Amino acid sequence: MSAAAPPARIEPFRLRGANFNLLVLRLLDSRVEVVVPAIGDQFRRAPGMLRHAPVVIGLDDLAVRPEEMDFAALVAGLREHAILPIGTSGGTAEMRAAAQSAGLAPLRGAGHDTAPPLATAPEAVVLPPPPAAPSGAEAPRPTMFVDQPVRAGQRIWAQGADLVITGTVNPGAEVIADGSLHVYGALRGRAIAGGSDNMQARVFALQFDPELVSIAGYYAVRDGYGDAPMGRAVQVRLVGETMRFDRIG
Amino acid sequence: MAQVVTVTSGKGGVGKTTSSAAFSTGLAQRGKKVVVIDFDVGLRNLDLIMGVERRVVFDIVNVIQGEARLNQALIRDKRVETLAILPASQTRDKDALNKEGVAKIIEELSKEFDYIICDSPAGIEKGALLALYFADSAIVVTNPEVSSVRDSDRILGVIQSKSKRAEENRDPVREHLLVTRYDPIRVAKGEMLKLEDVQSILAVPLLGVIPESEAVLKASNAGTPVILDAETTAAQAYADAVSRFLGEDKPMRFVDAEKKGIFGRLFGGRAA
Repeated sequence: MSAAAPPARIEPFRLRGANFNLLVLRLLDSRVEVVVPAIGDQFRRAPGMLRHAPVVIGLDDLAVRPEEMDFAALVAGLREHAILPIGTSGGTAEMRAAAQSAGLAPLRGAGHDTAPPLATAPEAVVLPPPPAAPSGAEAPRPTMFVDQPVRAGQRIWAQGADLVITGTVNPGAEVIADGSLHVYGALRGRAIAGGSDNMQARVFALQFDPELVSIAGYYAVRDGYGDAPMGRAVQVRLVGETMRFDRIG
Repeated sequence: MAQVVTVTSGKGGVGKTTSSAAFSTGLAQRGKKVVVIDFDVGLRNLDLIMGVERRVVFDIVNVIQGEARLNQALIRDKRVETLAILPASQTRDKDALNKEGVAKIIEELSKEFDYIICDSPAGIEKGALLALYFADSAIVVTNPEVSSVRDSDRILGVIQSKSKRAEENRDPVREHLLVTRYDPIRVAKGEMLKLEDVQSILAVPLLGVIPESEAVLKASNAGTPVILDAETTAAQAYADAVSRFLGEDKPMRFVDAEKKGIFGRLFGGRAA
């Protein structure tokens, strides 16, 4: 999304989130001398398939200790076949760290929940007064603002932050906030707030009509809104495990 | 540099080719030098609608693959002097199109023409992406119907993120909305989306509203762009759209249900 009249820029780059579809090469054997030739065989049979393909190495099936996995040799072996490993997915923290020292950064998939945040969540639920701030270890980020309509097929994700949208969220669009979600317009797409565990997050909309609304994983679709005032200014929040829809303003 | 105008929609069958043909002809009638390119390789239609299908020798794929010069592939329109057509291939695969090839063609066409109209195929895959990549302006064709509006919204998002202008961080592609097959009587009955509803979702300047018209089918079977059937409402609406594109102020016509006179009510039928 570009602004209408961008000011003069000094930085020679632009940092922007993007989604990519990537092939995952799951390692079912830790022996590089077995894996690389097997991939080479497959590659010879279907040469176009993996040529110059960036791949993510799947670590979930590796049963050995991290020091027994020679990531450097794996990377070198794959590159000889013109396959480019760019990162890893899954695996234990130690395995990921071992891969990282060979230059393979851990990638967080769209549907994945990595173990560490969930491990602390049950503690938060047991204590009677839930903590006001989310249990995440990172410092809170500034609110993300979006001033243009969010169109079908677009996805906005405010990581570790609240999300404010001053336009409409069209049907087929997806707006996601790890904090709370505020739409100063019509909310007609999918609204997902609270990240994986922030049950205090809320969703606000001036014209409430989403396809799906979710807070910290608890969700409802149109049929499940009960007597929510559709088309009006509404706030959505969790009370225990129940979703409440209240008029505001 | 010529201005590249892409006619796209996302949804199929809403009137992209009809509109590309009418719009290009309208611009050329105003004295501009216009070339219209068919990007629908494999399902080409533009040459049929323009009435030049019997004169196609070489096509865009031949040019990209170096089998023909651009001048050999261009077909000069016989009715309007400053108009030319670059047809697509019927038999080749759409994989034969690529960014570099299209870029070279556009650069060469810019030397002769003022406007390059790109008639996009339906969808959001390679053919459609190539057709919109080089756009300076985009005309998004939409029927007043929910799936068409949803797909147009999608293609607007794609234009914003995947055009060359977006990649190079230049001024964004100028977007225009062209609502086609609009029937004010059905809108009044609640069977068809209102113009305001379409605009409130797409939020893009309205270039024109083309009424549902029998003349469109007649024109495409005759191989004549509908704008040349000048008495019809569709032709007049397209002419208004061309005027607005060139900066003139024209009130929107054919958006309100007309009161039928006694003969209209007796004999029924739609506007021609």
